[in-house]
Amino acid sequence: MTARRSRALAGARGVGYALGLPVVLLALWWVAGDGSANIFLPSLREILDAFGRVWFSDVFVHDVVPSLWRLAAGYGAALLAGVAAGYVIGRWAVVRALASPALAYFRVLPAPVIIPVLLVAVGIGDTTKLIVIAFGALWPILLNTADGVRGVDEVTLETAAAYRLTGWARHRLVLRAASPQIFAGARQALGVAIILMVVSEMLMSTDGLGFTVIQFQRTFAFPEMWSGVLLLGVLGFVLAKLFELVERYALRWHRGLTGRQEGSS
Amino acid sequence: MTSGSGDGGSVLLRVDGVGKTYVSRERTVQALAGIDLAVRDGEFVSVVGPSGGGKTTLLKIVAGLLPATAGEVVLGGRRVTEPPAELGIVFQEYGRSLFAWKTVRENVELPLRQRRTPKAERRALVDEALEAVGLDGVGTAYPWQLSGGMQQRVAIARAIAYRPRLLLMDEPFSAVDAQTRGDLEDLLARLWRRYAITVLFITHDIDEAVYLSERVVVLGSAPAAVRAEIAVDLPAERDQLSTRSDPRFAELRAQVYAQIRRPPADAGPVASASIRQETVTT
Ligand SMILES: Nc1ncnc2c1ncn2[C@@H]1O[C@H](COP(=O)(O)OP(=O)(O)OP(=O)(O)O)[C@@H](O)[C@H]1O
Ligand SMILES: [Mg+2]
Repeated sequence: MTARRSRALAGARGVGYALGLPVVLLALWWVAGDGSANIFLPSLREILDAFGRVWFSDVFVHDVVPSLWRLAAGYGAALLAGVAAGYVIGRWAVVRALASPALAYFRVLPAPVIIPVLLVAVGIGDTTKLIVIAFGALWPILLNTADGVRGVDEVTLETAAAYRLTGWARHRLVLRAASPQIFAGARQALGVAIILMVVSEMLMSTDGLGFTVIQFQRTFAFPEMWSGVLLLGVLGFVLAKLFELVERYALRWHRGLTGRQEGSS
Repeated sequence: MTSGSGDGGSVLLRVDGVGKTYVSRERTVQALAGIDLAVRDGEFVSVVGPSGGGKTTLLKIVAGLLPATAGEVVLGGRRVTEPPAELGIVFQEYGRSLFAWKTVRENVELPLRQRRTPKAERRALVDEALEAVGLDGVGTAYPWQLSGGMQQRVAIARAIAYRPRLLLMDEPFSAVDAQTRGDLEDLLARLWRRYAITVLFITHDIDEAVYLSERVVVLGSAPAAVRAEIAVDLPAERDQLSTRSDPRFAELRAQVYAQIRRPPADAGPVASASIRQETVTT
């Protein structure tokens, strides 16, 4: 009874902490920026006005949906390829030795530099944007998966071998054991993918969130431009939270994660 | 062959001149120098020896997890090159041998699942094993939520639920209290008798070795060879109180102790043969 109440209290406190600072900042912006004469920095009231006008219309279908689709497809491809390649690299020393120089190069190569290359080689279509997003998101996933797979406990593997867990059972076991690191890489990659989605749309697109924001800026529609920035922030936040939900479920067994949950409440 | 496996029962496990040298870039360690050992079908054999003497190495070679650098292991007439079927194992590093992402119950169940044991039978085996080690209440916990001794019992439950033909145990009771240890020893003895399992049991504890086994094998320090084999001629039915206070029990443990303490210089197969003589004649 008291335990439940104290847990509810702790929950309420958690929500308070999470929302406190943003609410204060928004209020400050609202008050300080109200009646702002600077056209580049419109008031929050104007921005929110524009937000409703711009995004709750068919712009949503024309620009937000394509962006989300590109993000999902690019990120999904990076997940599949990153986990598969990372697994192979982490598992077999020979592959690792062969791949490391190339990996060392690509991990430090800023992903947007491939945009001009792709523009020439592939053109301006969706494919280019997908490749950019997938390429950038690939490395964190691949490298973390390789590390995780390589670090799977020797005794765990021996146990699996002794009980004749071979073939698929063994692959699954290794991936599961490496999953905390795979998730760490995937979380990092999600941020990268969002950035690359926006950047690629700003540089070479005729629709999408990035394109729309740039378009507003070019036409001096500053409240609208700011509302796009706001939307991107909200989008990033929501996706990060969704990711956290999935991670919490998949890693519910994991000591570090469970410890973190308990520690933060 | 210096082992006393001639008397009744066919040989299930034969370790023939097994040697192991670990070679890495920094150093070369010879852990085993020609181990000869034969274990009869259904026999309970303990292996004692100093820390770092190569006991775990021997166990992993027998399990087919580690290639020997000399000699061979033959199980049921077949040379061991990979983990054989119907092998149960409890590792010294019990904590790391549990699958962290699986609950206690799933850990015990996984080998049975892999073996495609039907569901109802699987459930019965898992229930029975967990109850036997006193963990029937914690089936849904994850390994890290348990104490070291509890984790060790999960690993034991997993091995016994599997109903192995050959059971390899590497200091399986090292992390439990004396009371639980006694209970687990008796549990193991019961299971061994009931299911005719062949057990190769590694321990540091001389009393435990004598109490449980039909034969105690003493290894020297690394590079290890078999220093002595002592047949335990105590009555088959054993009991913590009466067996341990039996004068013969005290004699046997003194013999094992003397073999462990004997300076390595005069160690060798000759000595081990003479000891066997001794135990037979006394
Ligand atoms: N993977 C390895 N690589 C190199 N050397 C090893 C390896 N495993 C064991 N050794 C060495 O082999 C020797 C025997 O080790 P082993 O673990 O078999 O001993 P043990 O009898 O099980 O010891 P303990 O009773 O402490 O568990 C030791 O000197 C150890 O350093
Ligand atoms: Mg050992």
